[in-house]
Amino acid sequence: MGQRGFFTDTTLCIGCKACEVACKQWNQLPDDGFHFTGMSYDHTGHLGASTWRHVAFVERPLPLPGQQSGVGDFSWLMMSDVCKHCQRAGCLEACPTGAIIRTEFDTVYVQPDVCNGCGYCVVACPFGVIDRREDDGRAWKCTLCYDRLGEDMTPACAKACPTESIVYGDLDELRERAERRVRELREVGVTSAYLYGADAESQPGTGGLNSFFLLVDRPEVYNLPPDPVVPTMKQGAMWGAVALGALGMAAAALGAVLLGREERA
Amino acid sequence: MKRMEGGTSLLERLERPTDGRNVDPEQGILTGEAAGQVVKELATAHPVPNLLTTIPSRSGPAEEAPSYYGVPVLKAPVWLRTIPLYFYVGGLAGSASMLSAAVELLDGRKLAELERRCRWIGMVGDMVGTALLVHDLGRPARFLNMLRVFRPTSPMNVGAWVLAASSAMTSASVAGMLLGRRGSMLEKLGNGASLAAGVLGLPLAGYPAVLLSNTAVPVWQGTRRTLPLLFMASGVASAGSLLELLPPHSARERSVARRFATFGKVAALAASFAVEREARRSEVVARPLRQGKPGALWKAAQVCTAAGLALSLLPGRRRWRQVASSVLSTAGALAMRYAIYDAGDVSTKDPHATFVPQRQGLGAAEVAGNTVASDGRPLKFPLPVVS
Repeated sequence: MGQRGFFTDTTLCIGCKACEVACKQWNQLPDDGFHFTGMSYDHTGHLGASTWRHVAFVERPLPLPGQQSGVGDFSWLMMSDVCKHCQRAGCLEACPTGAIIRTEFDTVYVQPDVCNGCGYCVVACPFGVIDRREDDGRAWKCTLCYDRLGEDMTPACAKACPTESIVYGDLDELRERAERRVRELREVGVTSAYLYGADAESQPGTGGLNSFFLLVDRPEVYNLPPDPVVPTMKQGAMWGAVALGALGMAAAALGAVLLGREERA
Repeated sequence: MKRMEGGTSLLERLERPTDGRNVDPEQGILTGEAAGQVVKELATAHPVPNLLTTIPSRSGPAEEAPSYYGVPVLKAPVWLRTIPLYFYVGGLAGSASMLSAAVELLDGRKLAELERRCRWIGMVGDMVGTALLVHDLGRPARFLNMLRVFRPTSPMNVGAWVLAASSAMTSASVAGMLLGRRGSMLEKLGNGASLAAGVLGLPLAGYPAVLLSNTAVPVWQGTRRTLPLLFMASGVASAGSLLELLPPHSARERSVARRFATFGKVAALAASFAVEREARRSEVVARPLRQGKPGALWKAAQVCTAAGLALSLLPGRRRWRQVASSVLSTAGALAMRYAIYDAGDVSTKDPHATFVPQRQGLGAAEVAGNTVASDGRPLKFPLPVVS
């Protein structure tokens, strides 16, 4: 079926939140309440169990390189965040039930009928994407519209995006398109443009993201980790420590019995 | 339900509305991916967010350590407050099983009473631990889904298998002890199960630390080399303390329990300092162990463990002193688990605890050896300003 994914070009995002709405509608997600956060136009906050697309708004006190703004030193950064569908997914590798699977489209999907709500994926995700809904008891996240892909349809968010900031397609084609876009942007003066997580080379901790981004500032500004790592990569040291501890425990038990049994009243 | 559009008979075609309201009633059926998501109380599912902690205009590159309005990058653990208690019970049961196996291996006769007691502790501990685990699940009825796959990358899956196997073995060892007559086949099977339970007790005490470290939570991931040692040492101290609290059958038994407990207390105290030291590789990661509620709990755990150790090392054997020492050690072991758990919770709420260590080279760079961050710039913090 080939590798499918999203390329989200943040320089094209106008912050209309059509992706958030389309996602909610198609997937029939419950609402998140109506709160004002005070964070620019972002009243969604972060991705979660019932928020699978989230548009971030950053008001920067400096212009984009190569651009002039009518209001002085200022620029908008907007980014539609989504599950990254990592090549090495923390949630998938942590899932103890096998509820989280990799689909034929190379995306990461949570099977709601298998998930037992252990909540381990929630802390295993280095991007803080997946979450367990308190009242439902199961973990939920973006499915990359698995039900639409099977029908050869474009995911709801990409379909609704009016500026093609969100593009869905074959990963190889998306990468080519993204690299072309970075070159174009740099030519017109936006020298800070780069691709976040396009391949394993640029993000070895995740093996590359199936939904990658074009950013123009440091990842932290968009609430993305600068050097994310799937926790499983560091597991060797942990089990090594357990082996060492096991030796210690066995020595303690055997030693206590050997020394203690000689005791007289 | 009858499809209006799909009808082909003459009657159906005549019945079809012509005023544009020919909507397929199936469109009204909720079939979306998340249509099955249960929603009871919106207010508790999505509380009002906290007030801003950073000024929005400061989130640009002018700041040395930017973040997105101080919003957490990671999700906080969703587990119940009973999970640290499970860690304590698991460590206790695993250590008791190990001690029972050691007695079985070295000296079955002289310490038979101690072995019986350890088998009981191991079995009851495994049962209570399993109950606490099932209670924590979002869908407790699906507990057995944990055992539908074997996934070595998931410490929770490995732990579920270890717990299941350990429960079986400790139960078999108790059954052999109760039902088998001296020298019978049943008793020998029980003794064999006791040895197996001892071996399984080791990972049972250690895997919860791997489960915590194998996450994106900065303070848990940042202490992955020492946290298992702390959990296992503390498990030995917990089991030893419980055995010391119960009335001993003989002087030998008291001596074995005392030595076992003392070893655990010394190791737990040393490991707690090692954990602190490992966390301090990045100041912002170690912060929850020094400040606030988890910091206070952590200090209290260390003080309790140290006091318990000091009391048990004083010359002379007074019963009250032994009881005080065991109670202090148990309190220390419990407080330590809660401190680690709460520190993780606090750690996820601070975006800088994720960002700063990754810029220090403690993210993927530690294992993958990359020298640049995902933005293609050197792993250095703060970054040189590029115009």
